[in-house]
Formats: sequence, structure tokens, C-alpha cells
Amino acid sequence: MTEKVLMKGNEALAEAAIRAGCRFFFGYPITPQTELAAYMAKRMGKAGGVYLQAESEIAAINMVYGASAAGKRAMTSSSSPGISLKGEGISYMAGADLPGVIINVQRGGPGLGGIQPSQSDYFQATRATGHGDFHLIVLAPSTVQEMTDYVFRAFDLADEYRMPVMILADGMLGQMMEPVVLPEPKTELPEKPWAVTGHRGERPHNVVNSLYLKPEELEDTNIERFERYERIKAAEQRAEEYLVDDADIVVVAFGASSRIARSAVNKAREKGIKVGLIRPITLWPFPVNAIGAAADRAKAILTVEMNMGQMVEDVRLAVCGRVPVEFFGRAGGIIPTPVETLAAIERIAASLEGGAR
Amino acid sequence: MPKVADIQRALEPTWCPGCGNYNMQKALLEVLEESGMDFEDYAMVWGIGCHGNGADFYRAQGFHGLHGRALPLATGIALTNPDLKVIVNMGDGDGYGIGGNHFIHSVRRNIDMVAIYHNNQIYGLTTGQASPTSDQFMQTPSTPGGVVEEPVNPVGVAVAQGATFVARGFAGDVEHLKSLYRQALDHHGFSLVDVYQPCVTWNKVNTFKWFRDRVYKLEELDGYDPTNRTMAFEKSMSTFHELTCAPDECKIPIGVFYREAESFTYQDGLPQLDRPMWKHAEAPRDISKILEAY
Repeated sequence: MTEKVLMKGNEALAEAAIRAGCRFFFGYPITPQTELAAYMAKRMGKAGGVYLQAESEIAAINMVYGASAAGKRAMTSSSSPGISLKGEGISYMAGADLPGVIINVQRGGPGLGGIQPSQSDYFQATRATGHGDFHLIVLAPSTVQEMTDYVFRAFDLADEYRMPVMILADGMLGQMMEPVVLPEPKTELPEKPWAVTGHRGERPHNVVNSLYLKPEELEDTNIERFERYERIKAAEQRAEEYLVDDADIVVVAFGASSRIARSAVNKAREKGIKVGLIRPITLWPFPVNAIGAAADRAKAILTVEMNMGQMVEDVRLAVCGRVPVEFFGRAGGIIPTPVETLAAIERIAASLEGGAR
Repeated sequence: MPKVADIQRALEPTWCPGCGNYNMQKALLEVLEESGMDFEDYAMVWGIGCHGNGADFYRAQGFHGLHGRALPLATGIALTNPDLKVIVNMGDGDGYGIGGNHFIHSVRRNIDMVAIYHNNQIYGLTTGQASPTSDQFMQTPSTPGGVVEEPVNPVGVAVAQGATFVARGFAGDVEHLKSLYRQALDHHGFSLVDVYQPCVTWNKVNTFKWFRDRVYKLEELDGYDPTNRTMAFEKSMSTFHELTCAPDECKIPIGVFYREAESFTYQDGLPQLDRPMWKHAEAPRDISKILEAY
């Protein structure tokens, strides 16, 4: 029986990364992900790895780029404004087909914003983390246990598909403590024959590069990458479903807001409203299959987010006009309450009854 | 002209009790009053860090910029309105770490502005990580085994890079700091004022007492010539890498390390910057000469 330990979300992210074989962590101080870096500072040396506080977020992501190109498991973490700075390096890693894990413990924006939890980097994570045609695999944990498990999984996904993977957490998940079961440390890591490790005259030398001046060559790399993305969309969509089977109303929420949505769903069920919850685990690839199937059965969808409405666009694309898709959210670092989320569900329930067409 | 009470906003600062920022603010407010400048004569820019909360504590035009980017912001302001005195407040992590590149290039660009660094040798706002100016081997939450790297030597870098005004102050000596601010404001060109500003909460090594035991004033040093760059460089290197040593073994110079009276600024190099851009439109244009060509 594996032992349960009480950990802060930020610390769990760090410990799981070390157990996943990450030996190179490059960070820069920013609230609210500070504990992650502090934990790495304490633990990484003992694990035989390197923790380095860089001079900037830009330096940190480029150090990840370098360590990853050399074939090692490497990670960086930051919070929203810092992720914007990393965007350039992430785009280069995507262009050079390099694995790596980037953690975003989100806070409110835009600009300097605030330091309270938010989900307002959804677009940035799933649409345009940097310039160019590319995607990250984006995983959205909602508990400290999931933060542990998803980081552990993120390194495998990154290596398997040779691309950067982002964990999209937020200040609430990062700061809270919950019991977790930690995974057994990985002892065997995948071979990386593409890594720049020195060829000793025994093979052609490897080049890690994202520059292709011939348009045809550059287009080929893009086409290959998007074929890989199609395989990922087919194999890696994940979502958790809760009371969805008989639901008239399906709430869609990820990360911290899914916890509040779940409470609201329970309260609504007590009142006799048939409502369920879909919690996207992979934000990219977005779980269009689960949401599409729900749209075939339900009468309305409600998206709940800690922003002004971002994931709701993906939900609408998945629903494709079959049923109305409503949005409820709070921004600026405010966490929606179960009561106001319940009110949003009740408004939809009332409109469904009233308009019994 | 605005008095200290006019410039200071009636807000309770969010700095910790005893923070070196209080003295830096006091010194700057008093020098601003003395300078006789009106609110329209200067702009203030802040970076991100504890010092940046100061943005709320002055009734000054200006703004709170991005982490590390205060100097490029200030450059934008100074270029659009060369008549303004631009005063930039930055921290050590802010201005020498993430903004280190901008520091070097602002020195060589020599735009007429005052760059004040609140150097507490720690990341205070994010709870005490080592900063680029933390002493080597200092233990912090981000360096449990001690800082590995050498600290940045801002005075040495600025002098070597050709800065035209370089000073170092100590937040424990307000009168001396005021004299540095005064000279920096008077200087025509980029003025660096690096201020040791003890962080009473997170830096338990470089305390007020620690500095009081070590600082001495360059202007009281026999034969020191602040117009001699070689001498300035030598002084900037004299103690810098031995900051952890005992008070009687090493002393830290404060004061004006270097000044160049007739400095060639970026504004001097661009004649169109002789006045604010909006004033260019004031003079009526005579287009008769152009029309003659047709």
C-alpha cells in the first residue's frame, strides 16, 4: 500500500517531476508558483540534478531548450506573465520537435494583472503560446493528486510525441494542500537517438533546429507535425464525466473551476435538476468526442471558467450549434462560488422549462 | 512649486516596517521639492518588485512598467518628450537580472535620465530568493546550498561600459543619498544611482548595521578624482567580490564614482530631439520653396 502524504500543489508538481526523471529545472521567481521552485532548490541537488534560478524567464526556457536538445528531461515553471516571456522559446522547441514540460500556475491578467488564481491563459495555452503553426499538449489538473499524476504523464507524452507539454494549473491549485500518493520513481527513460550527444564518428551528426529557409522544406515539417497532431487528437483526448448520462444540462469546466462546478451540480441534483459535469483533462487535444456526445443527449451546455469566456469557444466548436452553449465566469482572480454557479444552472433550467417547445 | 506633502500621496506604504525603501522615498521626495520642478517637468517609471509599489506613493506622472523593462519604457518617454526629466526606479532582480541587458544598453545610449536601483540583494516580493546581487555563498530559499555565482557589479559594469554618471548610495544615510540624487538630476546624460537598500525581512546578512560598519564616502577619500574613469573602475572592483568579509577587512565605498561633465547624450546625437515632437508642429511651414520646383 503506497503511503499518502500531505503536499501543496506546487510542491507536488515538483516532486512528481523529479520522480518522472526530470533532472534539470530552470526557474525564475514569480508568485504564485514560488513553492515549486523552492522545493526544486531543496530537492533537485539531492536527486543528482540541477536547479538553476535563471536571470529571466527567457533564459530559463532556453536552458530547457538546451537540456532537452541534449536528450535530458527538463522543465520550467512560471505564472502567466512569465509564460508570455517563455512563448518565444516554446515556439522554437515546437519547431525543433523537442520534448519539455512547462508549468503555468496561472494568475489574473492581462499585463501584470494580479496574483490571485485565474484561468485566463486558456487561449495562450491552447491557441498561441508563441508564433507559428504549432500546438502543445495541455493538461489541466483539478486536484493535488492530479497535479502529481499529470506531471508524471506529461514527461512521457512529451518524449513520445517529441513536443512540449504544458500543465495548466492556477494559483488556487498551486497553493492548496491535499493528500497525495506519489508515484514510484522512474528508473528507465526512453532512448533519444535524435539528441545532440556527440556522434563520435559513428553516425551522421544530429541537428536540432527550427530554421528552414526553403518554403517547401518548412511546409513539409509543418505537415509532418500536423499529422502527428491528428494522431494525438485520436489517441490522447481525456475528460472526466460526472452524472452526464441522464443530464438535461451539462456543465463543462476544467481545473479549479471544475471543483466548484461539481459542488454546484450536486446542489442542483438535490433540487431535482438533471445536470452533469464534463471536466476536460486535456485542453489540447480538446475532448471534442465527449462533449460532442453530450450535446447529442443534453438540452443545454453551460461552460464555467475563471476568465471572461475562453474554453467556451472550443465547447461551441464541439457542440456545433446542436444545443445552446451558455457561459458563466468570474475574472481578475475571483473564484466563482458554488452558489452563483448553481444560480447560473437554475437560470438555464428555468429557461428550458419555460420554453418547453 | 510642489512640496513634499504635495508630491507624496496620503497612502500607507505597503513596505515592511524598517524597509530601506522608506528612506529612499524620503530622500527623493525632498530632492524633488528642492529641485523646484513642477509635476509637468518630470516623469517617473517603476519596475516590478517591492520598490515598484512606490508607483502608488508619489503623485507623479509616469507608470509602473513590466518586470525588468523600466528602462526601455523610460526611453520611450524620454524620446517623445526630451524636455522631461525621467526618473526610473528599479530593483536589483528587476534591473540587473531580467533587465540586465537593458541596463547595459541604456548606459551606452546615454539618454538623459536618472536610474535609481533599489538594491536589497534579494527578491523580496517573491519571499527571499537570491538575486543577481546576492553575495556569493549566501543561503536563501532558492539557494539552500549557497549562491554559486558571483554577484553583478553594477558600478563596475557601468563604469566599464562608458557611463557618464555613476554613484552608489546607502539607504541608511538620507542626507548623503539626497546629495547623490541632486547630482544625478543635474547630470546631462544617463545617471546610475545604485542604492544599497537593506531588506529587513528577507536579507538577514546585509542589514543596516552590516552596511554602517562598512561604508565610507569617496568624497572623503584623499586624492579621489571622480572624473578619472580608471580610478573609478579600480574603486568599483576594490571590495566588490569580498563583501562577505569582516568590517575591518573590507570597506564599501559610496558616493560618486564617476562623472563626465560634458557628456554626449542620445538626444544630442539626434537634432530632431531638440524639443518634444508635438512642438515640431508649432512653427508654420513655408512650402513656397518646394512649390517653386514645380
